[in-house]
Amino acid sequence: MKKRIGQTAKLGCASGWLVVVPVLLAMIGCGGGGGGSNGGGGGNPPPPPVNNTLDVEVNLGPANNDADELLTTVTLCLPGTSTCQTIPNVEVDTGSEGLRLLASQVSLNLPQVTLGGSTPLGECVSFADNSYVWGPLVTADIQLAGETASSVPIQLISAPNFPSVPAACNTGGTADDSIAVLGATGILGVGVFRQDCGAGCTSANAQLPKMYFSCPGSSCSVTAVTLAQQLQNPVWMFPQDNNGLLISLPSVPDAGAPTASGSMIFGVGTQSDNALGSAQVFTTDTQGNFTVTYNGKSYNTSYIDSGSNGIFFLDSAALGINTCSGNNTSFYCPSATTNFTAMNKGVNGTSGSVSFSIANANTLFGTPNSAFNDIGGPNSGSFDWGLAFFFGRNVFVGVEGQSTPAGVGPYWAY
Amino acid sequence: MKTTTAVLAMLMFAAAPAWAVLGGSVDSVRADQARLEAKLHVATLPGYTVHEISRGDGTAIKEFVSPLGTVFGVSWKGPTMPDLAPLLGTYYSEFHQEVAGRRHRGPVVVRTKDLVVESGGHLRAFHGRAYVTSLVPNTLSPAVVQ
Repeated sequence: MKKRIGQTAKLGCASGWLVVVPVLLAMIGCGGGGGGSNGGGGGNPPPPPVNNTLDVEVNLGPANNDADELLTTVTLCLPGTSTCQTIPNVEVDTGSEGLRLLASQVSLNLPQVTLGGSTPLGECVSFADNSYVWGPLVTADIQLAGETASSVPIQLISAPNFPSVPAACNTGGTADDSIAVLGATGILGVGVFRQDCGAGCTSANAQLPKMYFSCPGSSCSVTAVTLAQQLQNPVWMFPQDNNGLLISLPSVPDAGAPTASGSMIFGVGTQSDNALGSAQVFTTDTQGNFTVTYNGKSYNTSYIDSGSNGIFFLDSAALGINTCSGNNTSFYCPSATTNFTAMNKGVNGTSGSVSFSIANANTLFGTPNSAFNDIGGPNSGSFDWGLAFFFGRNVFVGVEGQSTPAGVGPYWAY
Repeated sequence: MKTTTAVLAMLMFAAAPAWAVLGGSVDSVRADQARLEAKLHVATLPGYTVHEISRGDGTAIKEFVSPLGTVFGVSWKGPTMPDLAPLLGTYYSEFHQEVAGRRHRGPVVVRTKDLVVESGGHLRAFHGRAYVTSLVPNTLSPAVVQ
């Protein structure tokens, strides 16, 4: 079934509110009891539906040289006020949780998150490519379409007047400290967890990951934080549509497309536009992974990550195809487009095969296109279904601990 | 398989000197253990030993040591990325130069004449390995570095 989503229309409701809702919902009418609701709680009538659809787009990005990068616009506000700022070109990342923005892009004077009322809290996250983000946590209201997550800790990347990155985190990597390096103004983490670290960073854990840092002076040291002090997946903080989300991107030709416009729709089975339908549900383990089997071998630390710009799996030797030359050695450059089939399997036992193609990335990157369903590269010991996997699919994220019509997250569904 | 366990628990070091681990001597494993405030478990296998350093946060770093006492490979998994500079030692700059100019977001595989580094995963679940081809004992396959 093909349905058109992502278009919005404005209309007035009987209550007098002016809200923005998806077209499909508009056809039902304001307050329509479309696909059920959540978050209502015992006996109270469900809240009126809000616009749960945020536009997303794949394009060359603010650095004008990107590929398979999913971008959206985020509105930030001083907590509890209507003093807000709109920040475009934020990357949508299902491989992390929480909002991280380059400090240079944020003009609001957001309140610092502190420990014990005065000690600034910072965070350092290193990524698999040896780049890292470092900076203070501040509190903001995050508005995404008609949804608001109130008083949420977010990270300001490379903020001035904050201590330098602690040696305990990263001593030689590349700081993702500019649009040129990051390729975006920030990262909107909407993965399968509520927080970016979880219980591992709380005082319940005797030995802490080197992630959250207490910065009483000019230097910082690893600290325990509560769950509430961590970066939050904003989706589970919404008053409604808070059990997950759906990323819907159109199909693109094998030669790619200049841009691809789609939707990030909040909630799973909460409104008429986010029903699971025939999607298969693949639950993940406690680390957000499931199993992919290819050519008789299983890779049990595999995942779906809109923040990866390709399908990353196996290596040249195993596949018999070369990696590209120049700056694109992280991608495959086969002499002819090559087809593959792999099997995804959730922790719940659900399995389904995925057919995909890998084309010559250097050839594709030589075109003006930015959206590709067939770029990929090598990876060690796991399958990383990056953004190329998302085209032509509705990919659902079920957030941990949140109830949905298909059970409690964490899960992927498509 | 002969197994010995050495526990040098919770040594607190204020700063991390420039340990050379990959390509370094077996002594550097102890230095890494101290830097990571971790437990050390040594397993002796045919043709090599594995020094596994584990932290309470779920991080596990394995260092693969040849009969001559040289660290020919390292592997890691855990909720955060390990700091690769001290782990890759003198090979770090070669790795860093290879990766820094790349145009992609996602896992990394670096293969130079003598160095292989594979790094993947996401928040809460990173994994990877590195080895120096010329340092892998002739009797072994690099596949033992896992």
